[in-house]
Amino acid sequence: MDYARPTELEEALLLLKQKPWTVLAGGTDFYPALGAGPLKQDVLDINGLPELAGITETDDHVVIGARTSWTEIMRHPLPPAFDMLKQAAREVGSIQIQNRGTVAGNLCNASPAADGMPPLLALDARVELRSADEGQRLVRLSEFVLGNRKTALRPGELVTAVHVPRHATAGRSSFVKLGARRYLIISIAMAAARIALEGERIVEAAVAVGSCSAVAQRIEGLEQALIGRYISNISELVVDYPLSELSPIDDVRGSAEYRRLGAREIVERALLQAAFTDAERGVAA
Amino acid sequence: MDFVSISVNGTELAGPAEPRNLLVEFLRANGLTGTHVGCDTSQCGACNVLVDGKLIKSCTAFAVELQGRSVTTIEGVAVGGALHPIQRAFHDYHGLQCGFCTPGMIIAALALLQENTKPTEDEIRAFLAGSICRCTGYQNIVTAIQAAAEQMESGNV
Repeated sequence: MDYARPTELEEALLLLKQKPWTVLAGGTDFYPALGAGPLKQDVLDINGLPELAGITETDDHVVIGARTSWTEIMRHPLPPAFDMLKQAAREVGSIQIQNRGTVAGNLCNASPAADGMPPLLALDARVELRSADEGQRLVRLSEFVLGNRKTALRPGELVTAVHVPRHATAGRSSFVKLGARRYLIISIAMAAARIALEGERIVEAAVAVGSCSAVAQRIEGLEQALIGRYISNISELVVDYPLSELSPIDDVRGSAEYRRLGAREIVERALLQAAFTDAERGVAA
Repeated sequence: MDFVSISVNGTELAGPAEPRNLLVEFLRANGLTGTHVGCDTSQCGACNVLVDGKLIKSCTAFAVELQGRSVTTIEGVAVGGALHPIQRAFHDYHGLQCGFCTPGMIIAALALLQENTKPTEDEIRAFLAGSICRCTGYQNIVTAIQAAAEQMESGNV
């Protein structure tokens, strides 16, 4: 195997042009997948690339560099619309995994149960891709992850950042994960919700559900149903909504029917948490 | 074969490593066998170390990735032959049974107490989610970390 740790982005892109490499950032999906056999893949370690580090803000985007870890997400000051992403960060593996694992890697791994997907879908995220020949392109996250372990990444391309457009950073947000135990668990279902209010009226809504379809989905029908209604209507609207965007499967973690029931419950909880403060919901701090 | 140099417990640890050698393998091959391999799949935390002060699992990094970085292992916790307050508390409160997970637990506790000097029981349990003990039921580990936190806060160590 070859191991390369370029220190300039151009160098990394030229290497990627020459042959296929496994890109290594936090390694938290890479190492456990190695198994007992000898490592034969060529590994391109992107941790020497300063361009890919950290979170920056431009006039119209919040840009999350591809090396940004979940711990950095949690600790970086961001508007309340990002609370759901920070809450998801706390649910990714354990502290050790959050310190190493990256947001961009979570998307590239393209697991149906990727904790980063629902919040980033509800933030209308775009994935920034670069290659030596084609320069940069931005792909909507919903068009980047195409299926279980399948992305729109082309040969020679590197994910360099995740962009969140300012227009999607209004309002408050919340994330709820359903797992078989509290910690260190792969999601049975998860929901992310972001709503912007005028008084108690909902003027903007973004809801996404993960682990209930091959790729996490925005629940656009419900979003439309919520807009123009009041936060006191949330529960009845969720109960009445068919969740036809979802196509859950039976597997070792839960049945399709359980996932459907669970998804409805956690969508409601995520929306209520985004709409009301803990004090308003009568939850002790 | 690459040549790797890592600052381990304040001393340069240098030696040959293949790119595929994990950090934990590199440490153990160089005599630092306090860092254990439990699951080898990033779950159990027996191989916990600090890299530049941050808690990671040393089965989830190649040694070559850590070139030039600073690593703390269990061998670097006691200073001048005296047990660290966390080690002392694990001893005093019987925070172990078979002892296999203990190096990882102590490194995790060190990471926790560096960023939160007065953790609640819930905070300790949440922080230890990625460090698994199959003997104790965690009760005495949590008690030991609480006791260590109190001793370190009061400076009575």
